[in-house]
Amino acid sequence: MLADLEGVTYRYPSSSTPALVDVTLGVRQGEYILLAGPSGCGKSTLARVLNGLIPNFYGGVLEGRIVVDGKDPRETPTYVMAMSVGFVFQNPENQLFFSSVEREIAFGLENLGVPPEEIRERVERVIAEYGLEDIRHLAPSELSGGQKQKVAIASVMAMEPKLLILDEPTANLDPFSAVKVLGLVRREVDARNIAAIVIEHRLELVLPYVDRVVVMDKGRVVGDGDPYSVVVEHAHVVGLPSIFDVYRRLRARGLELGAWPRTPEELASRIESALMGRGGE
Amino acid sequence: MSSPLQAFKYVKKDTFMDSLDPRSKFALSISLLLASLLSNSVTVQLALFATAAALIAAAKRASQWLPTLKALTPLVLLIFAANLVFTPGMPLRGAALMALRFLAVTTAFSLFFLTTTPDDIALALEQSGVPREYTLMLTMSLRFVPTLADDVETVTAALLSRGFQLDRGNLLQRARNYVYLLVPLIVYEVRRSLMIAEALESRAFGATKHPTSLYKLSLRPVDYAVILVSAIVAATPLLVNTATPQLP
Amino acid sequence: MGRYAIEAVELHYRYPSGYEALRGINLAVSKGEFVAIMGENGSGKTTLIKHFNGVLKPTSGKVLVDGVDTRNVPVSKLSRRVGVVFQNPDHQLFSETVWDEVAFPMRNFGFPDDVVKERVERYLRLMGLYEYRERSPYLLSLGERKRLTIAAVLAYDPEIVVLDEPTAGQDYIQKEHISGLMNLLRTMEKTVVVVTHDVEFVVEHVDRIILMSRGRVVASAPPGELLTNPRVLASARLMPPQLVRLAIQLEKKGILRLDGIPEASQIVEAVLKRWTGG
Repeated sequence: MLADLEGVTYRYPSSSTPALVDVTLGVRQGEYILLAGPSGCGKSTLARVLNGLIPNFYGGVLEGRIVVDGKDPRETPTYVMAMSVGFVFQNPENQLFFSSVEREIAFGLENLGVPPEEIRERVERVIAEYGLEDIRHLAPSELSGGQKQKVAIASVMAMEPKLLILDEPTANLDPFSAVKVLGLVRREVDARNIAAIVIEHRLELVLPYVDRVVVMDKGRVVGDGDPYSVVVEHAHVVGLPSIFDVYRRLRARGLELGAWPRTPEELASRIESALMGRGGE
Repeated sequence: MSSPLQAFKYVKKDTFMDSLDPRSKFALSISLLLASLLSNSVTVQLALFATAAALIAAAKRASQWLPTLKALTPLVLLIFAANLVFTPGMPLRGAALMALRFLAVTTAFSLFFLTTTPDDIALALEQSGVPREYTLMLTMSLRFVPTLADDVETVTAALLSRGFQLDRGNLLQRARNYVYLLVPLIVYEVRRSLMIAEALESRAFGATKHPTSLYKLSLRPVDYAVILVSAIVAATPLLVNTATPQLP
Repeated sequence: MGRYAIEAVELHYRYPSGYEALRGINLAVSKGEFVAIMGENGSGKTTLIKHFNGVLKPTSGKVLVDGVDTRNVPVSKLSRRVGVVFQNPDHQLFSETVWDEVAFPMRNFGFPDDVVKERVERYLRLMGLYEYRERSPYLLSLGERKRLTIAAVLAYDPEIVVLDEPTAGQDYIQKEHISGLMNLLRTMEKTVVVVTHDVEFVVEHVDRIILMSRGRVVASAPPGELLTNPRVLASARLMPPQLVRLAIQLEKKGILRLDGIPEASQIVEAVLKRWTGG
């Protein structure tokens, strides 16, 4: 188990209400998880427990069993946690510090004291993998929103974390760019067998890619498991994608539609098959 | 964008100056500064100013520099007038010297900042032993200047859109009006700096006292040549310092 | 007295840096119309709406608000007619208390105190912020701050309301709330302009979509027409709503006929008809 949380409770320093209540969560390598829930439910707080910003940066009272890649954030400085956990924030503007993409990608490795030749190697590899050759010398102000987030992810992935966390990475992006970013994470999960946790409100954009959905509400984990069943059960707090609605209603009337549809196109194929194979299994 | 400070902001170009090591460029600007400070000759100040201006033009950055020159002109005239009026016994030539010195020095440093990236400046400092915490402060402040400028514009637009008249009233009232701008701006930027701090920590900043560096600056023969020329330039006034009346 | 609430005629805008953000925009928004401006980031949407209350003045061409050329009127005056809620609430909080924030524009416009008091109370209650009236705006949650900026603009009753990405970053429940607000604005017969990426949101409320790409208007049509055209949408980096995509595929497979924006029930019924009817 890459991350193992049990009975975790957390209170911010100046707060009387706990932001996390009795949270139990296990994360394995190769999992792409959507962390959903209404604003203020504790998703961002939980994400920051996983990379050590809580309690190191934020202080507060953190209780419960927490092991992330063998480390407890209460006993591990953030920069050591950063070797296992990569974190991509919502606003690309505030996580790109340099005037060149190349330097940005190298930064994390420089901080870790990686020898320059190795940095050069890894930076070149990442630039090739992410298709950043054309923009390697550009400054953030010369990049589009989607490009900025891509660079942010590349800079974090250069450090080769085992767990990648993205906190509303697509909030400032148009739908096309958003889908590209979410798909990119899927690629990384598959290629490197890392675990990824994405916090996202727009379910239709992210559901095509994830393996598992965790829903939080008022500091607690209230749902955890198969994306379709968890979303349907908690539709009143996270919303119900239209295709889930159609799928559910048709299945209730007896159509054999197979597993839950990731995209409208997939649902359409399933419906076609169900109508043609009418009467069959 | 046309701003009075445009001459101190790096623009990307590909000229001879750009190929130089930041340290040799710095030596050049420092030497112009020293020569200016050491010389009491108006002619020398003009020559230094002209040299710096010519180098800016050679680096194809004249159009970035000119708006600042325009904005500085009232200041230059003010220095001239103030020296004339407030320093008893100051000859016309002395006031002119002060004004031109100001102009020469600012142009010398404009040359440096126009042709050197903030990252290169930070790298040069780091290789000279300055810890990364400090060089990062420098790099990031410069990197976020345009971001801040955008925020000022946005908050101003929002304030005006609420029917607030920023430029109403006498000077004192206007100053008070600008407080309405400052408060949300400051809150916003403080919040931004917290987010930046979070992101820095998550990128393992502080993991070691001696972070490594992807880039390494090394002085090439042409850099040494520039440094040598700079040393000569700095020394010249000591030779040219004619028997002009000492200033009070 | 103009025929249109907002009109743009050959509007060009070039930023001081030289970047041409708007390259010949022609549009007209009728009084009481609910219009969405959609398009990729960088298409000029936000630049365009800044012309509606005069924050930006055209480099060439003109913008008319209720027949009045915006170049002749200061922003503070135009804002009385055109209320703009910008995207980030944190750029728009100017007062010490929530109460004062809602009162702020009205005080600037010289409303009498009793009117201010009545309106502030009404809109705070409407937005569910009354209990926070003595609190500092900065202590509210993001969603609450967003509602506060909307309250501040609605309270002074501008004829035209412009909202920049009202649903960006909002969770499901918050979006429902904003949806309800849009319905309210319709009943108040206001002219509403919404800049958004959210195709699902737009379907419910909007009379017409103005699609922008690279500083130009590339299409202007009702949602039923525009959102069922994936090719045009793709040119602006948008995707049709899920149900439209589903219906397009089902139409290709001969299972139903696409006619405007379908509701889930319509699709379910059409499929069931085939299922039982054969």
